This record gives sequence, structure tokens and C-alpha cells, in this order.
Amino acid sequence: MSLDPVSLEVIRNGLAAIAEEMSMVVMRAARSPLLREAGDHSSALTDRHGYLVAQGQDVPVHLGVLSFTVREFLRVVPAGKLTPGDVWIVNTPEVGGNHLPDVKLIRPVFSGATLYAFAISLAHWADIGGAMPGSYYAAARDAWQEGLRIPPVRLVAGDAIDEEKMGFILANVRGPDERRGDILAQVAATRVAARRLEELDGQYGADFLIAAFDAIHDRAERQMREAITAIPDGSYTGVDYMDDDCNGGAPVPIRVTVTVAGDEATFDFTASADAVPGPLNTTRFIAGAAVFYVMRALFGPEIQASAGCYRPLTVITRPGSILDAGPMAPVVGGNHETCQRVADAVFDSLIPVAVDRMSAGGPTTAGLLIFGMQRPDGAWSTFYEVHSGGEGARIDRDGMAATRVHLANVMNTPAEVIEMEYPITVEFQAIRRGSGGAGAHRGGDGIRRGYRMRADDVSLTTMFERAVVPPYGLAGGDAGLPFTVKLIAAGGQEQTLGGKQNIRINAGDLVIAETCGGGGYGRAPEH
Amino acid sequence: MAGWRLGIDIGGTFTDVIAVAGDGSARRSAKVPSRPAEPVRAIVDAIAAVDLSWDEVEEIVHGTTIVTNDIVEQRFRPCALIATRGFSDTIEIGRGSRRHLYRLDLPPRAAPLVAPAHRFEVEERMASGGRVVVDLTEAEIERVVAEVRAAGLDTVAVCLLHAFTNPEHEVRLGAALRRRIANVSLSHELSPEFREFERMSTTVLNAMMMAKIKQHLARIAERKPPASRVHLMHSASGMASPELIAERPLMLAMSGPAAGVSASCRSARELGIAHALTFDMGGTTTDVCLIVDGKAQIAANRDLGGQRIRMPMVAVDSIGAGGGSIARLVSGALVVGPQSAGASPGPACYGQGGERPTVADADLLLGYLNPDRTLGKSVKLSSARAAEVVGRLAADMGFTLVDAAVGIARVVSANMARALRRATVERGLDIRQFDMIAFGGAGPMHAAEVARLCGIGRLVIPAFSSGFSALGCVDATMSYARQLTVNMKSLAWDQTRLDGLLAGQTEALAASLTAAGHGRETLAVVHTAGIRYSGQSYETPITAAALHDPQVLGQQFDEAHRALYGYATGEPWELVSVRTEVSAPERPSEPHVIVGTDAPPAAAAPPRIVTFEDGTSASVTVLDRDTLPVHVRMPGPLVIEDEWSTVIVPPRDTAWMDGRGNLHIAVSLAR
Repeated sequence: MSLDPVSLEVIRNGLAAIAEEMSMVVMRAARSPLLREAGDHSSALTDRHGYLVAQGQDVPVHLGVLSFTVREFLRVVPAGKLTPGDVWIVNTPEVGGNHLPDVKLIRPVFSGATLYAFAISLAHWADIGGAMPGSYYAAARDAWQEGLRIPPVRLVAGDAIDEEKMGFILANVRGPDERRGDILAQVAATRVAARRLEELDGQYGADFLIAAFDAIHDRAERQMREAITAIPDGSYTGVDYMDDDCNGGAPVPIRVTVTVAGDEATFDFTASADAVPGPLNTTRFIAGAAVFYVMRALFGPEIQASAGCYRPLTVITRPGSILDAGPMAPVVGGNHETCQRVADAVFDSLIPVAVDRMSAGGPTTAGLLIFGMQRPDGAWSTFYEVHSGGEGARIDRDGMAATRVHLANVMNTPAEVIEMEYPITVEFQAIRRGSGGAGAHRGGDGIRRGYRMRADDVSLTTMFERAVVPPYGLAGGDAGLPFTVKLIAAGGQEQTLGGKQNIRINAGDLVIAETCGGGGYGRAPEH
Repeated sequence: MAGWRLGIDIGGTFTDVIAVAGDGSARRSAKVPSRPAEPVRAIVDAIAAVDLSWDEVEEIVHGTTIVTNDIVEQRFRPCALIATRGFSDTIEIGRGSRRHLYRLDLPPRAAPLVAPAHRFEVEERMASGGRVVVDLTEAEIERVVAEVRAAGLDTVAVCLLHAFTNPEHEVRLGAALRRRIANVSLSHELSPEFREFERMSTTVLNAMMMAKIKQHLARIAERKPPASRVHLMHSASGMASPELIAERPLMLAMSGPAAGVSASCRSARELGIAHALTFDMGGTTTDVCLIVDGKAQIAANRDLGGQRIRMPMVAVDSIGAGGGSIARLVSGALVVGPQSAGASPGPACYGQGGERPTVADADLLLGYLNPDRTLGKSVKLSSARAAEVVGRLAADMGFTLVDAAVGIARVVSANMARALRRATVERGLDIRQFDMIAFGGAGPMHAAEVARLCGIGRLVIPAFSSGFSALGCVDATMSYARQLTVNMKSLAWDQTRLDGLLAGQTEALAASLTAAGHGRETLAVVHTAGIRYSGQSYETPITAAALHDPQVLGQQFDEAHRALYGYATGEPWELVSVRTEVSAPERPSEPHVIVGTDAPPAAAAPPRIVTFEDGTSASVTVLDRDTLPVHVRMPGPLVIEDEWSTVIVPPRDTAWMDGRGNLHIAVSLAR
């Protein structure tokens, strides 16, 4: 059954409204600061096979994940085991995941006895256990050091929480009260979705909705095919580099060969580096998300976020490589660092056909600093901060200072909030003048921010890139300045910190983040 | 005799005026063209249009888009910013995020409001909690004031870290500045809340608007007779004195929409409607706002023209869909808006060069718009042009012409329903508990179907629906609201500190009202506490006349949280902020009674074929709204017209008019 253009648009609006409502419930009720201040969460609806049909708040990196989670979940938990009123919890990367802190709650939705949809809520918890508060362990060498691994577990049955399983999870994470709040918010979001879907079911009938889901997939597929057609047939190769392998090694290549034939395209990452010892590995789902992002940004901003858009795309990753490292590899940083480098490599490959649509290199790193402190009452308090940098310049304009780019868009934490909630003084926050690369158009400037400790024994975790391999210029423009983090001890000794470190710092110590500038575009005018 | 009272809403195109005689015995209304270049002329013209001279007018309350337009169109006066040492670039760093996720071509944000050369820093520092870490010396004040003057700037904004808890440094610096600089805006006066970027942006925007508003107010003062008063409609849906607006012009940022919301509140109270959703559909956008328990929902901040403003304002959501929205086929789906044909060329049926099908073209083909009607500026509608452009779209879809027009209407309704649902969900409310109040040019045409999609069964098209905002002005009472940060945990409750903060905020607001002649004892004070569980970031609003018992407050919060999210945990919580509203007594409603008639209503036009969103067509009677009988139920399908708007009553729905001239529609929700 095909759907006419009007019914398609009406249903699409109805489904998007449901996913948006889910996101708002999580945003307002959740506890982890990442969810509330920064919006690091996503909601989606899928069809009965687990193919995504609607997404709430649009976090590009999550699209890839949510497009696969329910499908992989169904490989582990056959549909026959699902009953109305269930909500399942899962976070293992191999089950359509990315890293352990992104916890997914999945609710099957039934019409009578017929399963016809799933609602899924993904949220980045502030802690999922493991070696370090905040669950970012830069020295991790296997998955268990990164925190609690939750395979698909039925956490809610008959719409009642199974307190035994809940207790088991909460016993393994820091801040159990807050994590309980996060779980309740996510369960509430899926409950709202189920109720709204029931209303649609009552209005249209499940058969009609199932047909509508198929029509939505078909439409996204058409849109992606139109976008691919805009690229001339041919084979294009690109590369970009991670700063290191988390073990003091040389830069690590992410390589792609893009083959375009008519309205289909293959993105082959086989030649990318082997898995690295530390937590910069990632999953093939993340590689898919990055490919989708680049296609949409360069060729089709209107492409609908639905599983159908993957049909004309083939994404190949090599098992054992950094992009397909297997279930036991540490992955926590790969989610936001390596995924951005995948996008950079794909951009690089398409320079011959689309340089005039591209931005030069930008701050494709979270620039993450995590300060962990134990409060006087023994509870952990974790301050998790990402940093913006200079946008890359374009063919027709300079890059803007102090922004997030591509697959990331998380906001900063105001200095006044930091000083109210943590024993840290923000000494300054300023534009890092002159850090953007020169060019016919200049790259945007990064920022400088200084954090002075007011307590002893603070654990600091760094997780940033672009410190060794700076943001690239395009068409003859210069690269931007690299990302730098300095530690100036209370006694005055200064040291430069690496991008994946865990250290202890004390009262009086000053940590200064100087974020990367964007690359320039075009040759700078002669003096 | 007491003089006349006028509500004047100066919009982008038209200025609406409603005049009420001092004894309530008469009402007059009119529309005149706006004059963006000389807003005072619109006031003079409006007074003349209701056959009055300014000498007969006791009081004018006017809404204006001066500030809104300057912000949206980025007309900014150069402004100096003074910040704590190390923090002046905050105005450029913002929150570090971008607006468009997938549009690389568009700049991530609006350009910074203050150029680097106009950013100044002072040596001073407060710690969180307001403790002075580095004192601000008189020498330092002298230095920075001299530097700002040397830069040749007459406008300055001051935003120091933690000034919302301890404003002492801002107060001293402000005093020195005000002795030598004309337009000075201090962050703790504008927005005494935490988050430095939002406070800074608000303070800068306010400073930038000061010179122009002072000039506008001065021109009014020159023209008006000394005995006649002029007040302004502010963004939180109350009226403000010119003296206060001169210092806080940013209070006018949402003046226009606030007037419509104010009128809706009045209608809701008169009709005994507790919860109402306002639906104001215009040419390019549709504004919606929620009224809960008779009060307009107030938002603590909003983005306007890409700029962040943090002040209490009516919580109006603007949806990018209206009569001018363009319909197009995108990969097999019929998409309507957000692109709009705007005022020029306008919809194709205006015959002014529009080549793309719009909602208005569909409205004409469906029989909603009267084909023989001429719009302002004597535009004659062309069904042929509408059929031509919608016909092309129909051919692309394989639809008949009428089915394509029905499709456009259905998609617009679905867009609206999604946005309305978002507006309610965002605030944790169930849309089915609301009645709808529809006004604006296109609102009454589409409201019934949108209401049906939302599960709303009761719809009101109020009297004076086309000059509704002016009605909101004429009925406005003086009220001021401000929000401050408290940050008090339930386990570390300090009632003395809270009482001190509330008293300070209340008296500061009350002072402006007593200065305007209201007795202190007549003023109503309402506090809205923003409470959250420790660790949450979004507060749940709890409204109370007094905040003196943390236990009661905790219970209210748990109940509200359960209602919103389906659970409450009984954990420790914190009081983050308090918004205080102080208002003068409401004006009594005038008994404006419409004489009922038993005579059959007059036809406004011959019957015409109308097609509804369910696809059915019928030959439908067209009634003149001014001749409708009172309290007589009239089953749909029906078209009701007045001078400025058309009301569509679909089949199965029923309309009737009450004794005040409000039109009610019972929307059938049966499937």
C-alpha cells in the first residue's frame, strides 16, 4: 500500500510530535547534567523490525546508533519474548551501541496482540561505573574498565519497575539517586510514546501505521538517492588522522574510499588503522552515523532521518579495525572523537567534487575535561565540560569563533554555574585571538578558559584531539592552531597535558584549555 | 465627565484602535495604516479615526513593535560592554552551540552584539555567594569610565560576575557612569539571575534600545495634552509607565503579542474558561500561547532574531506557518512552509506576481475566502490564479484541484497541531484540558480543524477578533514582574534570607506602581517559585501568594512533579528562583451588551460551495456576523463573515453567539 503525499506528511508530523514529546520529558525530568543543560540525549520511534521512522531532538551522532539499536536488540531478544508493558534496558556497544554511558530504554508497542512499533530513549548518563568518576578512563585497555555492561534486560514488566534489577544496576554506578532519576525519566518518555501511539492506532489503525512507516522509509531512500546522484560517478579516497593511539604512538589514520555509481554509494573504511589499545575505538554504527551526517550536510539538508536513507548506502568497516573493534575493546572516547574524524575523512575524499560546499577543518573534538571530586558527604560530584573552537572558513565567509561543529552541538556550562556547584574558580573565558588559520577567508578563533582548583585531590580526565593534527585548511588556506591544555601547578611549574590522561590535581592548580582555531579557505592575499 | 480610554496596537502594517468612553457607555474601533518611520503619527491618526481629539482622551495604552523590529532587523546602536576582568569575550563565546545542525553555509550564530574594540574589563571579582574577592576601587572606576567616554560611546551595558547575588560593584560603577553617560544598563537591574551570557546579552540589548525609546517617548510627551496619560504594553502582558520603559525598553520586546494574549485572558475570565490556548494565525506565522487558570503562561527567556533575551515575557510560540505559507512537493510528501510568499508578492490569488501555491490560494479554492471580497489596498482575489498554481501542484501529485487544496489545508492543520502539542507538552500540560481562542486574519478559518486534531472540543472566536490586540491594550492593568535567583536547598532552608529577598524584590516592583498613583494596599503580589530535585536542571513552577513553609512547598512540588512526569521521589529539593508579579487592581469589565434579536440572521453573501478537510463539499450559507441571533445554536456547515475575517464552521460542528458578541463553536470529536 502506498501513501498519498498528504497522508504521508500528516502522519510524519504526528510521529515527529511523539518523538519530540519523549525528548522533552527526558530533558525536563532527568538528572545527569549532560541531559538537562546540554541535551545529550535522543528519542526515536521505529517500526516493528527496529527500523527508525521518527526522531525527536536531532543529535546527529545518535541517529546512527538509534537506527541500529532496536534491530540488533531483536537479534538478541526475539520478538516473541516481548509483551505489552515491557521496557528493556541496554548499553553494550555490540547491541547497536556506541559507548557505555549512552543507555537505551526500549519499549515495544502493541495493537492488541500485534507488535507494530518500538519507542526508544537514549540518554548519556553522567556515570556508568568503571575506573573513574564520569566513566571516562583514558588508560582503559578493555571494556570492563569502562563501566557496567548491561546486555538487554527487562527492567519494566507490566509497566512496573523490577526493583531487583534496578537495585543491581544502581549498585554499580556512582550517584545512584541521580541515575534512578535518569531511568525514571527515560521510562516516562517511552510511556508517553506508547500512549500517543495508541491514540494514532485508534485513529488510523495499526495496518495503516505500518504502511505509513514503509512509506516514510521509501521517502528517505528516495531523498538519499537524489543526494547521491549529485555526486559524479567515480572513486574518491580520503584520510584524516587521530592524534595518537592512546599509548604514545604516532597519529592513526582513518581512511575511506568512496565509490559512487548512479544513485548508490559505498563507503569503504577497510584501510583504516587497526584497533588501538585505548578508548578511541568505536563501532560500525558510529561510522554509519558519520557518513549519513556528511551526505546530509553536503548534498541534502532536508533528508529525513529514517532508516530508509541507509538503503542506497553501503558502509564497510573491517572487523578488528578502529571502527569495528569488537565487543571487548575500550570505546568511550571514540563516540565523539573518532566519529568526527570519520566525517573529516569523508569530507577529504569529496574535495574533488564538493570543495565549494565544504567548511575547512574545525574543532572536530569534544575537547573534554572531566573534573571528579568527592563531596564532604562522600558522594561523587563530576563536572564534565566540552569546549567549542573556531569554525573552518568557507568559500564565501570567515569561520565563526567559539562554536561546535558537525556531529556535536553540546553547549558549555556557564562560569557562574561552575562556581556555584563545584570547588572550581573560572579565572577567564576569552577568545583565543589569532588561532584561526589564514586564508582568503580566515578560520574562526578558538577560546581560552582557565579553571583554578579550590579543593585537593581532584581527578582530571582529558579526552581531546586536534592537539597533534590541527584542523586543516582548504583550497590553500592555512591550518588552525592545535588544541592545547596546560597545567600550571600552585607552585608555578607548567606542563602540557596529553589528550587522553587521568591525573590528580590540587587546590591552587590552574588548568588552561586553549582550543583549536578553524582552518582558512583559499590562499591568503600577498602582503 | 471622565475622558476616553484608548487601546492602540501599532502593528507592522495596520494600527488597531479601540476607544471606550469613561463611563463605559460607548465603544468605538477603527484600523489605520501604520507609519513605521513616525510611530507617533499612528497614534494621532488612530485618535482621529475614532472621531476624538487628544484632549478628550484620559489615557492611552499602546502596544508597539519598535523594539521587536529593531532586534529582528538588527538595528543596533553601538554599545560599550563593561565586564569582570577576563570575561568580556563572553558576549562572543555565548553558549558555544550552533543554530543549524546540517546547514554548513549558514553562520552558526548571529554576529556578536558588541565589537571587540567596545569591550572593556574592570579589575574586580565576586565569588559565588557574593563574597568580594577583589574589591572594585574608585580609581578603577574612574579609569574605565574615562576609557568608555574616550571611545565616544553614549550607551553602555555593565555585566559583572555574580552581580545577581551581590550587586555592590555594579551599583557603584553604574552611579559613576550615569553621571556622565546617557544610556546605562546594569545587569542586576535587568535580570538578577545566574548564567552570565544570558544576563549579559539581555543587558546589552536593553542598553542598545534606550536612546530610541527615549526619543519616541519624548515625541509623545511633546504632542500629548498634559492631562492625558500614555502607558505602554510590556512583554509580560501588563502596562508600564513611560518612566520605567525609558530605563527598560527591552520590556517591549514582545509588546504586540502580549496585547493579544492580554485580551485572550480577559475573554477567558469573562467566559469562565480556566485553560485556554490562543491561536493567532497571520500571514507568515501563527502565534500560540497558553492561559492556565486564567493567567497567561510566562516564559523566563526566549530567542528573538537570534538573540537571547532573559526577562519575563508571555510564553508565545511562533510557528512558521500562516496564510502566505508556500506548499511544495518534497520527495513525495506535501510540505507547507516555513517559506512564505510574505506581503510581496503575496499569495498567487492576490494577482501581484505570486507564482507558488500558498495556504491562502487553497483557502480561496475551498470556498473559505470570499471570492468577491476585496482586501485592504483593494486587492481583488483571483480564483483563476489560485487554480493555476494549485493545479500545477495537483498534477504533480496526481490529485484533482480540490483534493490538492484539501491536502494543503490538512497539512497546515497537522503542522499546527504538532506545534500546539509541543507548546503544551513543554510545560507539562494536557492539551485536551484547553479551550481554543482563535483570532488574527486566518485563525477563525482554520481553528476548528486544528482544534479537532488536538482533541479540543470548545472553540471561541471572540468579539472584536480582528482588533483584538487593541482590546488587550484598553483592558490592561499595570503590572510588573521580575525573576531572581535564590538557590536554597530544602535541607538548608533559611527563611530569613528568603523573606529578605522576596521583600526586596516585591518593594522594588511596588515602588513603580505606587509612583504611578496606586495605593500600596491595593496591589496584588504573586510569587512563582521554580523548584527542582537536586540534580535536575529544569524547575517546576509553583505559584503561591507567600512562600513561608518549606514543607507545604515541598508537598506542592511533589504533586506538581507527579502530575507532569507521572512520578515523584520525595527527595531533597532546591528553590532555584522566584518570579514576583505585582499588579494593580483589575478594571471592572464594562457591561457591553449586544441586544439579542429573534430576527433571522442576514446573509453576508450568496451561498457558496465549500469543501472541508474531510473531503466533503456542500453549498453553504454565508451569514453576516453582525446580525447573528444570540444563544441560537446553528449547525454547520456554515460560513460566518464580518468586515475583517471569515469563520468556517465545518459539518458536524455547531456555532452560537453569546450576549457579548463572542462566537462559540462546539467541535465534534467523535470519529
